[in-house]
Amino acid sequence: MTEKTTAAERFQALWSRYSTFIILVLILAVFSTLAPGSFLSGNNFMRIFEQSSITILLAVGEFFAILLAGIDLSVGSVMALTGVVAAKLMVLGLPWPIALLLGCVLLGAAIGALNGWLINLTNLPPFVITLGTMAIFRGLTYVVSDARAVSGLPPEFGQVIGGRAFGLVAMPIVIALLVSAILVFFTVKTKPGRNLFAVGGNPQAAWFAGINIKSHTLLAFTISGLAAGLAGMVNVARLGAAEPNAGTGYELFAIAAVIIGGTSFFGGEGKVIKVVIGGLIIGTINNGLNMVGVSAYYQQVAMGALIVLAVTLDRFFGARSKR
Amino acid sequence: MQPIVEMRDITKRFPGVVALNRINFQVFPGEVHALLGENGAGKSTLMKILSGAYEPTSGHIVIDGTNHDRLTTRESSQAGISIIYQELSVIEQLPIMESIFVGNLRTRSLLGIPVVDRDAMYKRTQELLAKVGLKRSPDTLVRDLSISEKQLVEIARAIAFSARVIVMDEPTSSLTDEEVRQLFAIIEQLKAEGRAVVYISHKLKEITAICDRVTVLKDGEAVGTRDVANVSVDDLVAMMVGRELQAKYNEKRKGHVPSTTPILEVEGMTRRDGYIKNASFTLLEGEILGFSGLVGSGRSELMEAVYGAAPRKSGVVRLHGEPVKIRRPYDAIKAGICMLTEDRRYSGILANFSIRRNLAIGEQMKSSFLGGLGGLIDFRAELAIAQDQAVAMQVKMRDIEQSIAELSGGNQQKVLLGRQLATNAKVIMFDEPTKGIDIGTKAEFYAIMRRLAESGVGVIVVSSEMPELLAVCDRIIVFADGAQRAEFSIEEATEEKLVRAATHHVSEGEEL
Repeated sequence: MTEKTTAAERFQALWSRYSTFIILVLILAVFSTLAPGSFLSGNNFMRIFEQSSITILLAVGEFFAILLAGIDLSVGSVMALTGVVAAKLMVLGLPWPIALLLGCVLLGAAIGALNGWLINLTNLPPFVITLGTMAIFRGLTYVVSDARAVSGLPPEFGQVIGGRAFGLVAMPIVIALLVSAILVFFTVKTKPGRNLFAVGGNPQAAWFAGINIKSHTLLAFTISGLAAGLAGMVNVARLGAAEPNAGTGYELFAIAAVIIGGTSFFGGEGKVIKVVIGGLIIGTINNGLNMVGVSAYYQQVAMGALIVLAVTLDRFFGARSKR
Repeated sequence: MQPIVEMRDITKRFPGVVALNRINFQVFPGEVHALLGENGAGKSTLMKILSGAYEPTSGHIVIDGTNHDRLTTRESSQAGISIIYQELSVIEQLPIMESIFVGNLRTRSLLGIPVVDRDAMYKRTQELLAKVGLKRSPDTLVRDLSISEKQLVEIARAIAFSARVIVMDEPTSSLTDEEVRQLFAIIEQLKAEGRAVVYISHKLKEITAICDRVTVLKDGEAVGTRDVANVSVDDLVAMMVGRELQAKYNEKRKGHVPSTTPILEVEGMTRRDGYIKNASFTLLEGEILGFSGLVGSGRSELMEAVYGAAPRKSGVVRLHGEPVKIRRPYDAIKAGICMLTEDRRYSGILANFSIRRNLAIGEQMKSSFLGGLGGLIDFRAELAIAQDQAVAMQVKMRDIEQSIAELSGGNQQKVLLGRQLATNAKVIMFDEPTKGIDIGTKAEFYAIMRRLAESGVGVIVVSSEMPELLAVCDRIIVFADGAQRAEFSIEEATEEKLVRAATHHVSEGEEL
């Protein structure tokens, strides 16, 4: 009694699985047609990837906040604060790897944990808590840096973190891919990773199934903070100095990448790998519009339109619409 | 007499299944027509076609002699068809008055501008509430009402828009006996006014009590339509499931002697929120212990406290004589205590997970460490556990990778039970395990409970259905106001005794 699947149903099945990839390919095709010379080159693709690495790092962290049907608005501020603190530590004479470990990795994770702890303590929506901590950490960044860029960093730091791994691939790309790969493993293969999807989908049912909601919330926001700290590290390395206003508005790029990556805003659904593609899409648009010679103002327009478009398409063709 | 609605030869196909096959269904003015069938028999699909939500693949719907190939939702409501779903659709944040008139606000003219006519709506709402016997002001917020009161608001709303056919989907699933009596009185009144009621329920006693005719569906086919006066409960069961199962359902639990070793001892349990004060009980190995009482008497609240799902102030839980520290469900699962919650959708299924993941998560939590934050997923073991349990529970599904949300209620419940069984629990607490579940699946659940008990597992059943407790338990504790009121061995327990024990305290003074 099986009925033939219609073309629309097949498209729907295809879309729900590969939407993000399809968008990326479409965008690549558009820019390749518009600017075949400058856009279509191996070097340019590497550049896109490198430019996207910070967005990707922020986005794969942000993913976990949104997976819990929450949000982390503080990632841009965390990126700036960790960058400035690590730079200050280097200037104070700490060896740069230790400065990075303390200032970026540990501080980032600690700030994320603080977000999670506050959310657990107050039971307020993550939106409210991280809106507050976004301002707090941005302010602290200005306090620590005296509102001036922190420069005079050890050259080896820039050469290693901002350079190329084995003289081949840009280090930011390696870091972003490595972090993403670890998080893919974490979400697919570990119990806490799986549990986060349960908590995001139905916290009450997850609780009765034996999952501790608070410790998993803490974990998700710690990952988000840690990833933002790593983004801060990469950013300072690429610029050669720590800017106190770095990452302003980047939380929006991160959230955009997560959404374009098909993550459900209602929690419980999404894939890290798609978020990485989402980050690449944003990088590609910025780079492509540059190549075509479109002003930076229109780049924001294009990105905003893409977010609306991606979510709309998901609404109509995504897996959820079938229910 | 001409029927208000006649559905002729209705067939509905979905990709891969025939949900309804040439169904005929008539509703006459002034009758209460029961629609009966197991989960997935096609009742909801038929009603969705009636409400205009679905288009039939073939067939006709005749309303007042006019033929339709399908109804739009607008045509359906204009014809006076009103459906009250199990999940009530009144808007919680609004006062009763507005939730009745939402979408159809009455207006009056003020300087030629139509403005909302509060006074007229207030008066009309008062009339409607008086009619359905709801003693509340029209200004009361819907969220402050009990479930039965919300149901009355929905009925009032149906009457307000001159409904001629009111479909009630499992209207009594969350009501106390007294509230059920009230509802029946209102149904009688609707009948007297010439309106028709389509009554969907699994509770056969209610059908024989209130309905005039009954149509039984099975696997999308109409088994038949009968006058209720001429059928017995046994006939209905036979029509629904066939003879073999009927015997199973009525089978009493006899001759089973649980051991005298306690498996679970609860002492002085007090919840921080005060719902439970100083409750104690002992469960023996291989025993099925029932908890009876009114809705809200504290039975579920006690189980939640034992399970660690609600914070407790004091209380000791001993398993095999050893005190166990349970601060959250994780600790309980680790210790071997599982709970099947009352509200599948809210606190049971993980709707965004596949059947496989839903089945495996219990064992995965049990074998995890660091409070559930540690451990890798073994995909092969996961699939094996899920397949074993799906087979053992006889889950009707297309594919184990299918979303659990696509299953019927009874099958979802089987998956949830399979999740607990996969943990090799020593104690399983069932909270209203067969709520909204068809008779066939109920019988399977009872059989599983008995098997568990015979294998030495301690089983606790919280249920508002007394026949269920009497059929399955060795011992029954009656709860009221967060404390134990009485205890009966199965030999001495009767429905009457249970009711009396549950309501004794309110009979002096307060009204029930």
